[in-house]
Amino acid sequence: MHARTKGRLLAGAAVVAALAPAGGVASAARRAPSTAVGVGAREFRLTAYRVSVPAGIVRFNLANYGQDVHDLVVATAGGRRLARSVEVRPGGRTTLRLRLRPGSYRLVCDLADHAALGMHATIRVR
Amino acid sequence: MADWSEQHVRRLFWRAGFGATAEEAGVWAQRGRRATLDHVVDGPVEGRKLRGPAPRVDRRGLDPVNEWGDDVLWWLDQMLRTNYPLVERMTLFWHDHFATSDQDAPLMLRQNRMLRGHALGSFPALLRDVTHDPAMQLFLSLADSSKGAPNENYARELMELFTLGSGYGERDIRETARALTGFRSNWKDGRFGGIAFDREQHDGGVKRIFGRAGRFGVDDVIALVCDHPRHAPFLVAKLWSYFIAEPPSRETVRGLAATYRRSGLSIKPVVRAILEHPMLYRRLDAPDMVKWPVVYVAGAMRASRTFVTAGYPTWLLASMGQQLFHPPSVAGWDWGAAWLSSNSMKQRFTFGNHLIENGPAKVEKGSVKVTIGARGHYALAHAAVGSPQVSTHTREVLTHLAAGWFHDIPASWRAKAGWRAESLQRTLRHLLLTCPESQLC
Ligand SMILES: [Cu+2]
Repeated sequence: MHARTKGRLLAGAAVVAALAPAGGVASAARRAPSTAVGVGAREFRLTAYRVSVPAGIVRFNLANYGQDVHDLVVATAGGRRLARSVEVRPGGRTTLRLRLRPGSYRLVCDLADHAALGMHATIRVR
Repeated sequence: MADWSEQHVRRLFWRAGFGATAEEAGVWAQRGRRATLDHVVDGPVEGRKLRGPAPRVDRRGLDPVNEWGDDVLWWLDQMLRTNYPLVERMTLFWHDHFATSDQDAPLMLRQNRMLRGHALGSFPALLRDVTHDPAMQLFLSLADSSKGAPNENYARELMELFTLGSGYGERDIRETARALTGFRSNWKDGRFGGIAFDREQHDGGVKRIFGRAGRFGVDDVIALVCDHPRHAPFLVAKLWSYFIAEPPSRETVRGLAATYRRSGLSIKPVVRAILEHPMLYRRLDAPDMVKWPVVYVAGAMRASRTFVTAGYPTWLLASMGQQLFHPPSVAGWDWGAAWLSSNSMKQRFTFGNHLIENGPAKVEKGSVKVTIGARGHYALAHAAVGSPQVSTHTREVLTHLAAGWFHDIPASWRAKAGWRAESLQRTLRHLLLTCPESQLC
């Protein structure tokens, strides 16, 4: 378990508990037009369920299907880090929400050597 | 009791689907037993269709891949709007039987479509596609099991849980694992690129399985387990227990196994034989099967003509112990009384609250008069939740409750106490949705 802020970040919650507040959080987030991108994390792979998204607010819905703790960092193609999620324990979820301009972005897990082991992906913003 | 009554229809529609409306019960009781079974098992003559409004949550359509919980809502919506509920019930059966969990949403949804496509078809064809299914292969480490390091997980569950239950040994598992080597998963920058068969990684040597020897591969393994004498009795007994609470006799299993074999291991004829069986219609006034959480939820929503307009079913189903696409283990869910733990029951009551606040079962302000009498109040509530079958006892208790509801209000005020009539309606509707007989079918 890791410290987290407010109720928005559901990292440590059991699946059942994580689902309950998700509706409320998501409906608030959905008021501003945004695009959801499902992301699955496991050892050692990070899979984004969309190849490209329109520019604007993007919500990365991260689910940890693995046995270890993972997180999600969004960086520019050049490697500048834009946002980092909380650490998510196995079976947990969190949402990372940020505004993205057109371009190519890197998604990685920055815990230990997970990125080098394969936990990276790219997404295009058009 | 008539040979084919509304009670028979209701029993069949609950066991093979998500309940019958009052209208369906009437119509199919008239048309008779044979026509009803044809309809339920073969589907409506007009073909499989979805009816009613497409789901909308927070003023958007569903995105089952990217939005959490929308996968559950998507499948629930199929259950609510289908005109061929047995296909969804059987898809649910296979989801539990070939339980797969913790895989990426696109792969889980793809598996769900595959299971639906085979729901009532050929078992060997289903098993073949399950064996090649990416979510399953990744879940049980069949993907990337190679001749140098064969992984036994899939071979073991294939025999123990999927096809036989007994009648094999450790050696059969080891040799089967060798025969199933060679699948390789492809990934590029985190994206799934399919599963390919890599001959180089396949163990092409001679294997000995169930006493037979050969250079067996995946198709041989499917044929071997399906030909095994334990397979037919194993599968028909499991199918039986999905539809009928009391265990089948030995003769019944023998008869069903013969039906299954005669059809060339086709699922539909054996399901039909179970749905026709007199045991399914025993004690029509005393239901003894616990509704699975999703059957309970979909049934109550169908009966009250409630569609998917909010996210609450997702998290309530999870708290009731059944998160679709996330079975607890490869063995699936625990059936029966395990569904009725005290916490799970509490969530079923909570669901009743949501149902009478979201959708047609909602009590609108000014919609009820105090003066319609206790029976009138009961009848109104009963119709609003879809006229479920309830015991005489429950009906009497609820009518009695209605009769005493306004006693503290002077008679001269009652005409103006609509709000009290509304609270009575909410109470009666909730109790009808959650009473003991609503949990069983
Ligand atoms: Cu990681």
